[in-house]
Amino acid sequence: MTETAPQTRNSSSRAEATRVSKAEASALRDFLRGLLRVLRANPLTFVGFILVLILSVLALLVVLVPVVTQLLLGHTILLTPFDPNELTTDYGQPPSTSHFFGTDNLGGDIFSRILTALPLDLAIGFGITGFALLVGGGLGLVAGFWDKPGTIGGVVSLVILRVTDVFLAFPSLVLALAIAASLGRGTGPAMLAVLVTWWPYYVRLTRGEVLAVKHQPYVMAARAAGVSEVRILFRHVLRNLLEPLLVYYTLDIGTVLVTFSTISFVGIGVPLSVPEWGSMVELYRRFLQTQPWTVLSAGGAIFVTVLAFSLFGDGLRDILDPRSRRALVQAAIPSTLMAKAAAAAEA
Amino acid sequence: MAEALLDIRGLSIDYEVGAGVFHAISDLSLQITPGRVLGIVGETGSGKSTLAHAIPRLLQEPPARVRSGRILFRGVDVLELPRWKLPLLRGTGIGMIFQEPINSLNPAYRIFDQVAEAVAVRKLRDSGQTPTLFQAVEPHDYSRGKPVKTGPALLHAAIPHLPGIGTGARREALRTEVLDYLKLVRINDPETILDLYPHELSGGMRQRVMIAIALSEKPALLIADEPTSALDITIQAQVLTLMKELLEEVRTSILFISHDLGVIAEMADDVGVLYAGHLVEFGPVEDVYTNPRHPYTKLLLRSVPNRYKTDGPLPALTGSVPSLAKIPPGCPFHPRCPLAREICSQDPGPVLERAKGASASTHLSACYFSEEVATIG
Repeated sequence: MTETAPQTRNSSSRAEATRVSKAEASALRDFLRGLLRVLRANPLTFVGFILVLILSVLALLVVLVPVVTQLLLGHTILLTPFDPNELTTDYGQPPSTSHFFGTDNLGGDIFSRILTALPLDLAIGFGITGFALLVGGGLGLVAGFWDKPGTIGGVVSLVILRVTDVFLAFPSLVLALAIAASLGRGTGPAMLAVLVTWWPYYVRLTRGEVLAVKHQPYVMAARAAGVSEVRILFRHVLRNLLEPLLVYYTLDIGTVLVTFSTISFVGIGVPLSVPEWGSMVELYRRFLQTQPWTVLSAGGAIFVTVLAFSLFGDGLRDILDPRSRRALVQAAIPSTLMAKAAAAAEA
Repeated sequence: MAEALLDIRGLSIDYEVGAGVFHAISDLSLQITPGRVLGIVGETGSGKSTLAHAIPRLLQEPPARVRSGRILFRGVDVLELPRWKLPLLRGTGIGMIFQEPINSLNPAYRIFDQVAEAVAVRKLRDSGQTPTLFQAVEPHDYSRGKPVKTGPALLHAAIPHLPGIGTGARREALRTEVLDYLKLVRINDPETILDLYPHELSGGMRQRVMIAIALSEKPALLIADEPTSALDITIQAQVLTLMKELLEEVRTSILFISHDLGVIAEMADDVGVLYAGHLVEFGPVEDVYTNPRHPYTKLLLRSVPNRYKTDGPLPALTGSVPSLAKIPPGCPFHPRCPLAREICSQDPGPVLERAKGASASTHLSACYFSEEVATIG
């Protein structure tokens, strides 16, 4: 920002701004360095982190490569070795060097189908769960924090909770199926159906956590220090909710994928022409005994994705909790460095 | 007599819970004059903490309910303030130190951030960027009659808040002041402590940080709700020594609540004795301790263990504290009182008035027979 409009500032404030941006840059560097240390100290988190990184980059490439090549070369080049919907005579092939994960009963290349499905499945997992976290978490925060009966907050909280109860009264899968069926077949309607049914759980979870945290003595201490209620909510309560919420969120990504695939399974979700892991599992289920690579590859893709996010989420919790973070960082500092620091302290 | 900083009149607070109505505070009146330390002493369940939390309106309502009374702080009735104005009263007006230092600091933030938050709250109010209820009293113009040692933190002019500059510069601006307050509460190596998390500090250290937070807002009234009860005896002594030193440096009025008669004797100028939610005796600490004018105070003082006493058991108070749901009619102490007569069990009970036979005019007692108290055992 300081580089974009330097001429509008006078020299002293520019110097100040530069100093500030330098301080911020070093803070960022410290944060990244700390993150690296924590990741090195915690191999499982590291694996999760790397997996999430690889999956995200791959998903981006799958989406971008055809678009960019179309723009630059005039014709589309797919990242995948085969067109995911191409039907060939090579049906039912086991994994080989040309078909990494084999082919299905119609001759489609399973590796290509799985790779093509990656962006959609990540969007479903991230997007639907993220939306539920934001909406449900926000509502739960309000409902839990301002719940004093007889006040405006109490009424709002009551309304939020009763509406949530209405959604929770239906089994979420049945409700999602009903919504998806009424909207017609398609990826969009199926996503919308899960979206609508998913947030109430987050309201309940967040509200419960808020109720536990807001009676902690440090919240009363902050109140006694004259901190405003809104600031207490965001700074003191929300910060202490992040750990349970993030862990639940990362574990929930897998559940959303499975629920989504169930909708596809009954035939009102994603059309068969669109590759999606959940619907692939259901589609290839019949070939478990004759062509096991079909269903195992699709299931494996879900497994790896869920595992990656779970490991990453677990690690995130460790990083967010000051107690374990300090231990992690200390464990991550090589002993030679510690000895050096001790010698420097003595000198 | 100077105008009272805090004037509580006829305060009654109930707890309405499933088991019934508990009268935690009954018709309590007291004044704190600027610059003085008022100690409140009482047994467990006598309403000490309820009183402490009621003044800055920190009570959980419900179950608590203020039945009647007024709490005038610098002329403003705290009980009539709208809820959104309460944060403006707290911190810079009425500060508070709590009983549990272990959980009173947010585990997610470094010490620096927690002290800096309080400093920032005060600075924004001082500079007029956020509304305040009261004009700042700076420097506090009520001297305690002793030469004043002003801590380095209090000499700092309020640094103007730097708006819109990234967090880095604001942190720097707050850093010196936060350091000053940590030094004020005698924390060794404050530079290191700044970057630690609460779980890395001991209980005594955390209580020091809590004191620093409360003082950094320069409150006109500081409420200390049993600040040493959760600490072990050596740390307790350290914190008390610190607070006693700070009394002279910061010159703020303090409401000091404790169940420990010795601590009150050490800290307070005036003392109020609470029994079952009633203020039974009030007066200068020396007068009350040497010449108690209420049978409860007399018996309480007699039951304090004496280090050199070797003959026989301790003279404990007979009977037990009445349930707050069924406070005896008349004087709440009459079932246990050696002086009790017919009139003591009749409503309305004795009111707090000038004690007969007391030397100081401010020595009050709620007993019909206050001149006979000296004859007890």
